Amino acid sequence: MNLSWPALDDTVHDSQRLFRQVLGAMSEPGTVHELVVPTPPAQPQKPLLGAALWGALLSLCDLDTTIWIGAELDSPALREALTFHTGARITDDPASADFALLTHASFDPRTPFAVGSDTYPDRGTTLLVAVERLENDSNGNTKGERDGQSGWRLSGPGIAESRVLDIGDGAGCRALMTRLAGNRASFPQGLDAIFGCGARLAAIPRSTRIASAEARVDSREVN
Amino acid sequence: MNGYNFAYLDEQTKRMIRRALLKAVAIPGYQVPFGGREMPMPYGWGTGGVQLTASILGADDILKVIDQGADDTTNAVSIRHFFQRVAGVETTTATTAADVIQTRHRIPETPLRSGQILVFQVPIPEPLRFIEPSEQETRLMHALEEYGVMHVKLYEDIARYGHIATTYAYPVKVDGRYVMDPSPIPKFDNPKLDGNPALMLFGAGREKRLYAIPPYTRVESLDFEDHPFEIQRWEHSCALCGSDHSYLDEVITDDKGGRMFVCSDTDYCQTRRGEVA
Amino acid sequence: MYVAVKGGEQAIANAHRWLADRRRGDRDRPELEVAQIGDQLRLAVDRVMSEASLYDPELAALAFKQASGDLTEAVFLLRAYRTTLPRLAVSEPLDTASMRIERRISATYKDIPGGQILGPTYDYTHRLLDFLQLAGAEVPPAETRDDVTDAEACPQILALLNDEGLVEQEIDDGSEPADITRDPPDYPMDRAARLQMLARGDEGYLLALGYSTQRGYGRNHPFAGEIRLGQVEVEIHVAEWDETICVGEIALSECQMINQFGGSREAAPQFTRGYGLAFGHNERKTMAMALVDRALRAEELGEPIIGPAQQAEFVLAHADSVDAAGFVSHLKLPHYVDFQSELDLLRRLRREHARNSSPELGESLDRPSTEEETSARKLGQGKHDQESGVHGL
Repeated sequence: MNLSWPALDDTVHDSQRLFRQVLGAMSEPGTVHELVVPTPPAQPQKPLLGAALWGALLSLCDLDTTIWIGAELDSPALREALTFHTGARITDDPASADFALLTHASFDPRTPFAVGSDTYPDRGTTLLVAVERLENDSNGNTKGERDGQSGWRLSGPGIAESRVLDIGDGAGCRALMTRLAGNRASFPQGLDAIFGCGARLAAIPRSTRIASAEARVDSREVN
Repeated sequence: MNGYNFAYLDEQTKRMIRRALLKAVAIPGYQVPFGGREMPMPYGWGTGGVQLTASILGADDILKVIDQGADDTTNAVSIRHFFQRVAGVETTTATTAADVIQTRHRIPETPLRSGQILVFQVPIPEPLRFIEPSEQETRLMHALEEYGVMHVKLYEDIARYGHIATTYAYPVKVDGRYVMDPSPIPKFDNPKLDGNPALMLFGAGREKRLYAIPPYTRVESLDFEDHPFEIQRWEHSCALCGSDHSYLDEVITDDKGGRMFVCSDTDYCQTRRGEVA
Repeated sequence: MYVAVKGGEQAIANAHRWLADRRRGDRDRPELEVAQIGDQLRLAVDRVMSEASLYDPELAALAFKQASGDLTEAVFLLRAYRTTLPRLAVSEPLDTASMRIERRISATYKDIPGGQILGPTYDYTHRLLDFLQLAGAEVPPAETRDDVTDAEACPQILALLNDEGLVEQEIDDGSEPADITRDPPDYPMDRAARLQMLARGDEGYLLALGYSTQRGYGRNHPFAGEIRLGQVEVEIHVAEWDETICVGEIALSECQMINQFGGSREAAPQFTRGYGLAFGHNERKTMAMALVDRALRAEELGEPIIGPAQQAEFVLAHADSVDAAGFVSHLKLPHYVDFQSELDLLRRLRREHARNSSPELGESLDRPSTEEETSARKLGQGKHDQESGVHGL
């Protein structure tokens, strides 16, 4: 048994604490939360499956959940560790996954994750996405002034006015954010996403409106 | 309490409820079905709220429990005592000091702050239930966003009484999409649902549904251009603290028609009296 | 000056002490033992086990004692305990054909292989109060015969009809049945889920619904094909050993109704079935359950839905006594905030009504007055600017 993937020290209370942070992230989209979780082992790929997403998996998954793993994160050791620590079933069918583990780099908008139905919109996949950057600016200032337009302006439930979240500027990041922005058109069907970068975690549920951070500046000028 | 897990529920049940809560937050106002469990108190007495509280509560949380706005009503006392016993958490009556507030029928008068969680006990989560009793039908109506019947029902009130005759559990629309039952709070409290900085969670144990309003979410009470939503008003002030802007309970003081009006929110009233004194 | 009632916690504790005292009753008489209840009030125990869906005669007897004989309360106590238990294994399907039979009757044939076995039944007792029991008379032991309990000698009556093709067959399609103890109800429900809900449904409720079908509200022409009571082995499959082992025996009651036949151009006419199963000796419950099960198959069998017992969502959503008792009893909780809302509206409507019909009366019906009114008015004037209305529709 490969035990280099660590368990929580205190299943009951650590799970509760981590869940509250994930709930906070989902309730206030784009806010960044620092999770205290034992660090996962070294991995060959980038971005890593970091402590935050590992903690989310440990606190949310059990025998009643199915997990789909993207190719670049997939390894026998991870599968073994997930099964051992949570009892969750690993599936190769993204449409039957409760949680999907992937990285921004490999995000493919054509992957048929479950988006629920209009009668049962809750029966959809929650994406757990490892990213290389995760920063927000609740004042609405964009990183754009410094290093280009990699921030995304979020608004909607959980956000008083607007909030900028920066998950990086790669093609995968843009494809992912474009896909999540598309949730509005299919609402209440849609994908909910949780991002992890090392020990840091943020979320964008399907209720969030997403625009590029530049668009925000324009709209403020109009106002 | 020996033999029971922290906060009574087993970890698998908590995880099931936690996963459902994340979906509820992601789809504001949508009723997520969940595998509700029997609790050691009767259905209808707050088992939905209790299961939600048990699933979110941590050892460091400070808990407040109110019923009718009061900390000292018997059911509030009983539920608070339950969590002291099974979770050993600190409890408070002060709205400002609480991390988690479980409530039945009221939203505290003291404005809630970011980071607080308000857990509502819900008897009948389906706002369309009294118009259409079948679950299969109402599920479809939500899916199709077909809320015309609610409109008709409210308008029939106006035609008959000159007013919308719904005074509590007054339906709201969440983020422009789902019509939702805010639980049997008086419509006086409906405006507090809109843009509230706290996270609001709703649990219906017997009906096995939970739903949520994230912080800062647009929540509108249903109404008409010519009959705008309005809240209850009193021509009296609280006889104890003098508040002229809180929800008042009528108290009968004798058998000759004597009565007085006092704040239903006991913490709010006591805090005001403390400040005045 | 009004002071809010305090000391709710003390009041609750006192109420519970009083309750315990009442339960104990006259201290000059010996306290009831749980084992006595299990022995001598076994039908109550069986009903508690069935509706709580937990087979544990000792704890069911304890619940019955703790509830002072209130069956609904006892069911709730045991159900609330059940929900805290871990699920260690899932049994193989029970085989009632191999039941160790105590009672077994059929109304469809005069004589059946293995014979009609009356067993310990209240049937044919004349309902005359037995005053000897009041006087504490001893009861002579019953004579027992071992030879009649052989399962092979008592084939299931419906299996005999199966051989001729006269009755529809139940075929296991291998699909995983729903689990109503873990999954929220999702209407419409399949028969497996419906039977689970009926099995823990309140006996009185099912009895009334079953009776209503007999009186024409969804009649299904039932015959009591077979009712059997006895002990059935519970087996689990142990994956590590790849072996099925018996973990114990439970008492069960089973009723197989033979009902109105159906058929079509393609399918030859056949009798249909209704099914009832319960823990312990619960014959009335299983008969009522079988009637309701059959009624709920109306849609599947292409029958018109005309009676309440045929309306699945209605029947199933209201069958559980823990649900029903909880929600009815919650009306005892304080509702004064909502009542105040209703009072306020009703007074306003009556004022307006009176003004419209007689202006003077309208004045006298105006809001109630209080001592504080004058000062309250001063304080409150003009500050109740209502929240601005929003237009949600």
